[in-house]
Amino acid sequence: MGRARLNRVLAVAANTFRESVRERVLYNLLFFAVVLTLSSLVLKQLSLRQDEKIVKDVGLAAMDFFGTLIAVFIGVGLVSKEIERRSLYPLLAKPLSRDEFFVGKFLGLAFTLLVNTAVMTAGLAVTLLATGRAFDPGLLKGIIPIYLGLMLTVAIALFFSTVTSAAVAAIGTLCLCIAGRYSDILLHMKADLGAAGGVVQFLYYVLPNFRNFDLKSQVVYGDPVAWSIVGQIGGYALVYTAVVMIAGALAFRARDFV
Amino acid sequence: MKAKIALVALAAIVPFCQQRIDAALGEHRATEEALYIWSGSYVKRLSPGFENVMADLYWLRTVQYFGGQRVFAKEKRYDLLEPLTQITVTLDPRFEIAYQYGAIFLAEPWPRGADRAEKSVALLKQGAEATGSWRLRQLEGYFTLIFLHDARKAAEILLEASKMPGAAYWLKTLAADTLARAGDRELARRIWLNMYEQSDPGAIRANAEFNLKALQSLDDRDDLQEAVIAFEAETRRRPRSLRELPEVRTGKLRVMDPVGVPYEYDETSGLVSVSQKSSLWRRPREHL
Repeated sequence: MGRARLNRVLAVAANTFRESVRERVLYNLLFFAVVLTLSSLVLKQLSLRQDEKIVKDVGLAAMDFFGTLIAVFIGVGLVSKEIERRSLYPLLAKPLSRDEFFVGKFLGLAFTLLVNTAVMTAGLAVTLLATGRAFDPGLLKGIIPIYLGLMLTVAIALFFSTVTSAAVAAIGTLCLCIAGRYSDILLHMKADLGAAGGVVQFLYYVLPNFRNFDLKSQVVYGDPVAWSIVGQIGGYALVYTAVVMIAGALAFRARDFV
Repeated sequence: MKAKIALVALAAIVPFCQQRIDAALGEHRATEEALYIWSGSYVKRLSPGFENVMADLYWLRTVQYFGGQRVFAKEKRYDLLEPLTQITVTLDPRFEIAYQYGAIFLAEPWPRGADRAEKSVALLKQGAEATGSWRLRQLEGYFTLIFLHDARKAAEILLEASKMPGAAYWLKTLAADTLARAGDRELARRIWLNMYEQSDPGAIRANAEFNLKALQSLDDRDDLQEAVIAFEAETRRRPRSLRELPEVRTGKLRVMDPVGVPYEYDETSGLVSVSQKSSLWRRPREHL
């Protein structure tokens, strides 16, 4: 039972991966990310001996920014497109549960993003090599949290994708991603608001805190970042992603495809 | 056919139009710079998660702005230099090079820099507090002495720098010397030599080298002045030109400053001076 279910989920994931890599938007965004990283080679000439910092800053920011765009724009189409094209119906007529389909879609895009992040990391390493510097393994402590943040973004995009159209889902996901990057403001607002601070505190914990996934500055400056911190961020990503995925799966189960 | 002729004719006019524009505005010209957001905090709020890369972009713009004004602008103005540097370090408070170079750009006398020594020293202080860097604190001490001419304050700052983690052992001695020998050319030379030796090849080293040359020109001028006085004492007349001095004829003294501009000599007063045409010329107090 368990193995058969896993095989079905993996089959959906494999198909999703194949489908994603055929998307033109993926290549466009990946191309821009790699070109931007390589362009830091030109910028270093203008930076007054800050080439290494600039290459690392631009490389990590490109991973974060373009990874988020890929996660949002491919993620929102994963379920909604299947519904709009009505290709979902024959699939669900097969021995495949809605939950398996939903999780398979998530894993497929998660794997696509893993490949993308690996390509962008390779691009960053090549750019650093071109400036005569070796790739610093400490950067992985910044890259892994970026990838974990992308997982959460995919889960949010999938959730919206099950309950609304692709366009609205994209707007909703982007809004949550942006709001999540401002979570530190909510934390500071709490002290100023007095009684209403409780509401702000509630929002602070409910909204996905994308600030957690930002260790870029620390790794670029070579600050000691303990693996336990990366582990805690992983734990947060795992729990939050699971919550969003369960909510999405429940919404998907409840949807009436008539 | 008419279209082809028009195409060729119009294409031929394009370089002519460009030449007219270059003639009017200069081949290399600084573009009119505009800064739409003046607050680093606002830029920070607009780029959550991307503050460092935005700091890099603002830093590149700062360097381009400074270079554009210094090299290409006919009327050199550095109005945006301070806000651009402030935005950069607000976005990335640990951007040490931005404090260092930003302070040099701000402190240097016009037209080489913005001539805003107070802002420069304040920037270095802010940088030393944000990064905990003794080098920034040391530079703050140097600039307080060289540009603000406040030896007591400079000595205090250098003493504070000497207590910071990793600080060079000789900072304490330098602090004491600063207090005892403020205004002394040798002390200034020691400071610039320190900056030269501590920096990598680039703008900071070039700036230190330039200031060492400026001090050398003052030494040369003094030597020439002494030679003129000695000549007058011996011959009971002033030399008609510096080339008449025996020390110059034997090659012991030079009539050109370190950047190749001849020293000026006024036969009527007998005074030797660094030429105002030389890039090494400065107002009297600017050297120390």
